[in-house]
Amino acid sequence: MSVDLTSTSGRTILAFKSGRAFRRAGTNFVDASPTKGAIVLTNEEGLIHFMWKDRMSGEVGEDLILFPGDAKLEKVPQSSWGRTYVLKFESSDQKHFFWLQDSSTRRDEEFVTNLNRTLADPNIIAIWDARNVYPASEASTSATGASISPPSTVQPIVPATSNPTPASTTPEQLAQLRGIVSSMTGFTSEDELWLTDVLSSQNLLQLFQSHSELLPSLFPHLPPELIPSSDATPQQAVEILQRTTNSPPFRLAVAQLDRALRTGALGEFVRSLGLPESAAMGVGAFLAAIAEQARQEGGTEERMEED
Amino acid sequence: MSDEDSSGWQLTESDPGVFTELLKSLGVPYIVDDLYSLEPESLEALQPVHALIFLFKWFPESPDDEPGVGAGHYDSDFPGFFAHQTVNNACATLAVVNALGNIASLHAGPQFMDLLSFTAGMDPQTCGMAITSADWLREAHNALSPPSSISLDGLDLPKKSEEAYHFVVYLPVMGSLYELDGLKPYPVQHGEYDGSGEGWVKKAREVIENRIHTYPTGALEFSLLALRDDPIPGMRRRLDALQGSAEDVEISDLMNKISNENSKRERWAFENSSRRHNHIGLVHALLLALAKAGKLDSAKADAQRVMQERLERQRAMQS
Repeated sequence: MSVDLTSTSGRTILAFKSGRAFRRAGTNFVDASPTKGAIVLTNEEGLIHFMWKDRMSGEVGEDLILFPGDAKLEKVPQSSWGRTYVLKFESSDQKHFFWLQDSSTRRDEEFVTNLNRTLADPNIIAIWDARNVYPASEASTSATGASISPPSTVQPIVPATSNPTPASTTPEQLAQLRGIVSSMTGFTSEDELWLTDVLSSQNLLQLFQSHSELLPSLFPHLPPELIPSSDATPQQAVEILQRTTNSPPFRLAVAQLDRALRTGALGEFVRSLGLPESAAMGVGAFLAAIAEQARQEGGTEERMEED
Repeated sequence: MSDEDSSGWQLTESDPGVFTELLKSLGVPYIVDDLYSLEPESLEALQPVHALIFLFKWFPESPDDEPGVGAGHYDSDFPGFFAHQTVNNACATLAVVNALGNIASLHAGPQFMDLLSFTAGMDPQTCGMAITSADWLREAHNALSPPSSISLDGLDLPKKSEEAYHFVVYLPVMGSLYELDGLKPYPVQHGEYDGSGEGWVKKAREVIENRIHTYPTGALEFSLLALRDDPIPGMRRRLDALQGSAEDVEISDLMNKISNENSKRERWAFENSSRRHNHIGLVHALLLALAKAGKLDSAKADAQRVMQERLERQRAMQS
């Protein structure tokens, strides 16, 4: 299933009206921007996107992919007006400021609590107060995760409550709930691997020896002084590659990349490699994106069989 | 990403290849070699030795005064070159500069010679600051360390504690053995040495061995480096002079030595290239190649299996 990450084609988990606020340079003041917007949380193939969208233009002003447990939206106590919040991270110093724009403050706490619950664990279903249930017709999701258009007014999706009044949950709502649960794969054992093991000395040697036609694609990435000359034998090339991939600086780079991928913050970096932003979500996601990139570039697996 | 203390100086590794590369960029025709022992034979093989660099990490068991500081006495009238270490990460380069600054008739590139004249007469603190403010020197120093492969600015990843070695230089100045430690207020004078026979290195051996013995066993991790003339030109000249002579033993001996030196330089060159290179592009290219070769899935499965085994071993150890 291919996902177009440039539009919000995932499953919207929740959304509520909010504006952004920005720190005044060199001070501790934060100025609210009047633009009408919304915080939208979506789930795309198990990845949580925290987006801020401009409600007038529909443009996505902010699109963060969040690692479970990494971020939290907290109230800014110094705000006399009382509706300013900051999105903070365990893994970095980043801060994003928002202010709630719903005309009534009645649901502020509910929105924020549900948001934080989901950010902590995407497998948790938002608990909505049944009394505040909006008509489900404005919020369409489907179990197959087909594209939905983002709500132009902001409604919480699926008033699915695991809550006190089961009698009020309709069969349609239950089906939607099941759909959400089944698509929320969360972050499971996929991620329990280290890049250093994937790129083990053994795996690489096997690769070098069995697929020498792929070696030239690696040369440009070697330290410039070590790139094999055009009259180097395949064996010499393998030796150079082996020596480089066994070197401490190389091993360190692999370990650093592994660590950095777990922060979920390498969006720009993975794009510079020609990968979609979802590749920044963890080691598993990174590898999946590379597999796709290989397919797109015309992997040699099939062709090998034809030889 | 510089933190307050580093003033743009990156931490470098402290091995001979790195130091020798630094010397090259200063235009100094010396090399730095590992010294595995202070025995006369080991030192003899490396003569002429201009300075010894003692690098160490000390793991104190108690917050007492560091041992080994009793020997010698401060010389506040030291006539030679001495700079304080004002930036931690610059420690390796600073040690080299402290050594070079005291070598008579030093051959060096113009920038370094200028820096030495500029700092003449300065007090140690000002001298240290002048050294670490020299942009060209900082760039030459930073060129020896790994690039930050991924822009992790702002991500605030917990840094593994990069402990710097501490560097102390021992060398002869005006008939006495001096210890130059950028963290001490003045150079330390350890007394005169006997110029005959082994010369100053004999005294250095005593002082250094005494120092090592004052640390509790296992509390000290250290290394010794020798700053010496590059032996290759001399050996080549000798070899040329022997061409056509009957001195087979000496000729073959020289050829061996030259060959060994060259291998060592080649290894240093490889390590330096590797150190300076941003390998992230290669990581991506390798993963892509694995995918194209149809081997990525099995590599992943292997990695998952290895991880499970690792976790189980860990659980077993904890239970």
